[in-house]
Amino acid sequence: MVKEKENSKFPPLVDGKSQYDLTSGKYLRVWQGPQHPGITGNMSLELTICGDEIIDCKTHVGYLHRGFEKLMERRKYIQCFPVVCRICVPEPDFNEYLFAACTEELAGIQIPERAEWIRTLNLEMARLTSFLMWIGGQAGSFGMGTIGQWTVTLRDYMLDLFEELTGGRIYHMYMLPGGVRADFPPGWINKLLDTLKTVEKTLDDVELAMMHNAVFKMRAKGLGIITPDMVDKYGITGPNARAAGVARDIRKDSPYLVYDKLDFEIVTGTKSDAYGRCEVRIKEMYQSIDLIRQIVEKMPKEGPFFTKLPNVLHWRIPAGHTYKRAECTRGEYGFYVQSDGSDKPRRTYVRGPSYTHAVALMEHLAIRTNIADTAGLMVSLHTYPPEIER
Amino acid sequence: MTEFNELSRQFQISDLKEQRADLHFFHASKEHAVAVLTSLKEKYGYTHLVFFTVVDHLEKNEFHLTYMLHNYEKHHDMGVVVKIARENVQMESIHHLWPAAATYQQEIREMYGVEFPGSPGLYENFALEGWEDIPPMRRDFDTKEYSDKTYYPRPGRESHDPREYMKENLYPGEAETW
Amino acid sequence: MSLKDIIAPFSVWKRALEKPYTNRKPIETRPGADRYRGFHQNAIDQCIGCGTCEEICQNNAIDLVPLEGKTSSHGDSGLRPKIDYGRCCWCALCVDICPTGSLGMSNEYIWITTDPEDFRFIPGGESKPWDDRAEGYRRAEGYDLLEAERVEMPMLSFEESQKSFIEMVQGYSKEQAMEEADRCVACGICIATCPAHMDVPAYIEAIRNDDMGEGLKIVYNANPLPASCGRVCSHACEYVCAMKHKGEAISIRWLKRYIIDQIYLGDYKEILKSADESNGKKIAVIGSGPGGLSAAYYLRLLGYEITVFDANEKAGGMLRYGIPEYRLPYEQVDKDVEYIRQLGVTINQDLKIGVDRDFKSLYDEYDAIFFSTGLKDPYGLEIAGEDLPGVQSGLDILDEVTKGKTPDIGKSVVVVGGGNVAMDAARTSRRYGAEVTILYRRREVDMPADEEEIHESQGEGCKLVTQAIPLRVEKGDSTRLKLFFGMAEMVDQGEGQRPKPVLIEGSEEVIECDSVITAIGQEADYSFIPEEIGKNLVFNRGMVQINEFRQTGDSKIFAGGDIANRKRDAISAIADGHSAAKGIDIYLTNFKEK
Repeated sequence: MVKEKENSKFPPLVDGKSQYDLTSGKYLRVWQGPQHPGITGNMSLELTICGDEIIDCKTHVGYLHRGFEKLMERRKYIQCFPVVCRICVPEPDFNEYLFAACTEELAGIQIPERAEWIRTLNLEMARLTSFLMWIGGQAGSFGMGTIGQWTVTLRDYMLDLFEELTGGRIYHMYMLPGGVRADFPPGWINKLLDTLKTVEKTLDDVELAMMHNAVFKMRAKGLGIITPDMVDKYGITGPNARAAGVARDIRKDSPYLVYDKLDFEIVTGTKSDAYGRCEVRIKEMYQSIDLIRQIVEKMPKEGPFFTKLPNVLHWRIPAGHTYKRAECTRGEYGFYVQSDGSDKPRRTYVRGPSYTHAVALMEHLAIRTNIADTAGLMVSLHTYPPEIER
Repeated sequence: MTEFNELSRQFQISDLKEQRADLHFFHASKEHAVAVLTSLKEKYGYTHLVFFTVVDHLEKNEFHLTYMLHNYEKHHDMGVVVKIARENVQMESIHHLWPAAATYQQEIREMYGVEFPGSPGLYENFALEGWEDIPPMRRDFDTKEYSDKTYYPRPGRESHDPREYMKENLYPGEAETW
Repeated sequence: MSLKDIIAPFSVWKRALEKPYTNRKPIETRPGADRYRGFHQNAIDQCIGCGTCEEICQNNAIDLVPLEGKTSSHGDSGLRPKIDYGRCCWCALCVDICPTGSLGMSNEYIWITTDPEDFRFIPGGESKPWDDRAEGYRRAEGYDLLEAERVEMPMLSFEESQKSFIEMVQGYSKEQAMEEADRCVACGICIATCPAHMDVPAYIEAIRNDDMGEGLKIVYNANPLPASCGRVCSHACEYVCAMKHKGEAISIRWLKRYIIDQIYLGDYKEILKSADESNGKKIAVIGSGPGGLSAAYYLRLLGYEITVFDANEKAGGMLRYGIPEYRLPYEQVDKDVEYIRQLGVTINQDLKIGVDRDFKSLYDEYDAIFFSTGLKDPYGLEIAGEDLPGVQSGLDILDEVTKGKTPDIGKSVVVVGGGNVAMDAARTSRRYGAEVTILYRRREVDMPADEEEIHESQGEGCKLVTQAIPLRVEKGDSTRLKLFFGMAEMVDQGEGQRPKPVLIEGSEEVIECDSVITAIGQEADYSFIPEEIGKNLVFNRGMVQINEFRQTGDSKIFAGGDIANRKRDAISAIADGHSAAKGIDIYLTNFKEK
């Protein structure tokens, strides 16, 4: 924090809030978003600036409020399955997995082992795909659009794989309570491994062009520093926390699916600024590639992938509640499902990592940054608004 | 479990339930809830506020405020459920424990109408700008009715129930039940 | 800042030499993947319009609408799904759940029209370029949302069953019934086909909810003889069940039986509606078979005073005297009859109209008459030697067994016929230790008997000879009789006609046996109706002509059951009784001069 001086151009802070008078002519209020390439998705930042520095930031969400949680109150469990994936565009699979896992736990269903492996594979692919999209935003927000184009192309190759496996590019609707909907198509695994090679090769280039780029380093280093003591205060999870040296990864700490059978280490950094967070994410992309290869090698080659459910049209789930979490690219993704014994969930609560990152944390970090850096800062927190306003 | 047993000596808490080895739920009284949360955070290592939400039990006229805390040392979750009546509902704020809680409370006020006196930004709009109806996540808010009222249905859609349609066509006058 | 950080970014210039990712113009249309969830396809003739797709659709995108060229028929509602692509979310749950497997999705995702209305159409019903596309989403092998196989019914083994008259089908346990009830998709296609139009999905739902009282109420709304029907109903419903397209039909009959088996007769009164207060009008019912009892029950509920006249010692008609105990135990018939009696219906046994009591006197004394006297007189074989001792009718055998007598059948029996009576006579004979051969004129697929009956008779060791036409019966040498029969060939009778068996000239075989049991059909006996009343009634090929209210040519006389409908089963008789009750009520309330 900048030390307060008598003649500072910044207004005094009271309780962490700037005290300023808009009518003084010294300050300007500008809106960034809701349609802005530097904002991930549809949300907006209401910025008060002094010169080109931000003295106050207020986030606004609600531009795409589709009320998923409310929608699910009126839907049978099976009918929630096509709904949940829509909560997050880049990583729909986490929603599918978590909703299915909660339902299975409440209903006392054990899915076949192979289904667990396929789900894990799917989640890691989703992570990689989401990271590829993030690089696009991160590079683009610092004026390096070319890198964004490379990785978004790669994302499309990943989406091709999803399309062949699940029948959908964006909303896969693949993991449903009971297992998954289909086995691998013939030749798909080889295509996946080939695509991974291409991704790996491009990632090497990205490291050179972005992480070893003097301009990027100058702008990203020191931007939006998250200190370890902020982590619990703001509920920070995922790479944002790991970059600060906080070694927490749900895949390791509370292994779900088959993560306990995979060999990997938690990636941590030393300083969580925009640059540090990028480093962690790029390392995690290599990690995902490695995990996918491990899964392909270790998974059972055949076997059932779906457990028979009761007739889904009349399926009632015993009363109870549970919470399940998984490590998505942005941190802790969780579903809380409460059943009242009827055929529809009483309450489904979606805990998206962006909820804490994009609102309270962003408002805190934005202060005293340069207006040109807000886009880079926002993307470096890796947030997606739909999971804020479920 | 130790935490529960120790806390129950001091506070009104009850109904401990083990959902999984790493997830327990219990109920806390409205008066003691924040003190319980503070203890869990400060004394027992439940430093991470995973989420804070409300479940509406309209038939029982209750809101179940649900706080989910996580202990990173033990990798254990604790769900604290606080039952409060649905009318004029107020709850102590926990933003002093976790600044991020202010966002949850702001949203809960908007979606359920629960008040948290002193919570920063409580009355600012979260997702619903210009909303005038009752808080929409309450179960007595009927989304179907709202959508029928707000968005006119597309004309020309009509469905038929197979059994009724077959009756009309195959046995219109026959034995009906009395 | 190191020198590397300045230079490194330039290293990517090497990519300028690589093959670009981008496509060159003109851009080719990229087909969706093999599993792509694109526009729907529906095999329109395979689809039965059950509406399960509409039921599972979470977006309310599917309507069931009539389609030109499709009409309602048994097992097909005549409706077809119409999809609103403004709402469809392409989840394909409709494809996954479709019981007939008619619904699929093509891999087509590009389609442009300027009229938004075009995006609502009936897949398969309105021709689209992707209708015959092989690629697209189908439900994968190994993943299924419905259970194709029914819960197996515990039954006595054939070794056990043929030794005694113990009921063969043992009934579902609670778990089994619930599991079976869970399979139902509740489409209601079966309701139209059930002659009594029972609300099958509703009572199956009652089983799922474990609410037997509710189930009993629903059953009694359309069927007052459920303990019997739950065992021996011809279950036309199961032949049209949507799930039959996927595998096995729901065990509708056994589920109905399950409900009835769970409730004691003594508890019926508290659950079912009681009769209205007496309205002072009197109805005579002749015959206490399913038709008569059904009419009596529904009329009694409306407050009529009912007197049933029956020629036998006990009520139940063919349910008791025509169906052996291993299929329908007598105490189950008693349960049904007893409840009707408890409602205040008077049943006079051992009283034959036309012998013990004059039809005319009933006609004068009662406000209306319902008769459902059934088919009692067996057809003869019309061959030489059929009056020899040892040639007897299947019905007589069954009747004797019910009355506790041991039938005189000897050690070997030939049963002639392919209906349920033939099967019953054959299996009853097995239980008396006889070797049994069944002769039938047509092929096995043409047999009018229930599939299970044919299967079980063979399981119990009855030998089936098809396409066999009896020629003559002679006195036997070592056995009582010798039956000569010829083989038939099936001659095609043109479209829509069933093939006719024609004797192959010169073929002749012989079986030695102690008894020949004939079961080739029965006819009605109307001799109890006096001429002066009978002249108003219209008869057609042995059947009484009735209108939709089961009213005969004489407005005061109603009829039903085997004498009036061609289906000739218990449930049709029950439906007749129900309709007649309604008809009589309308007649007496509105039309009869006071």
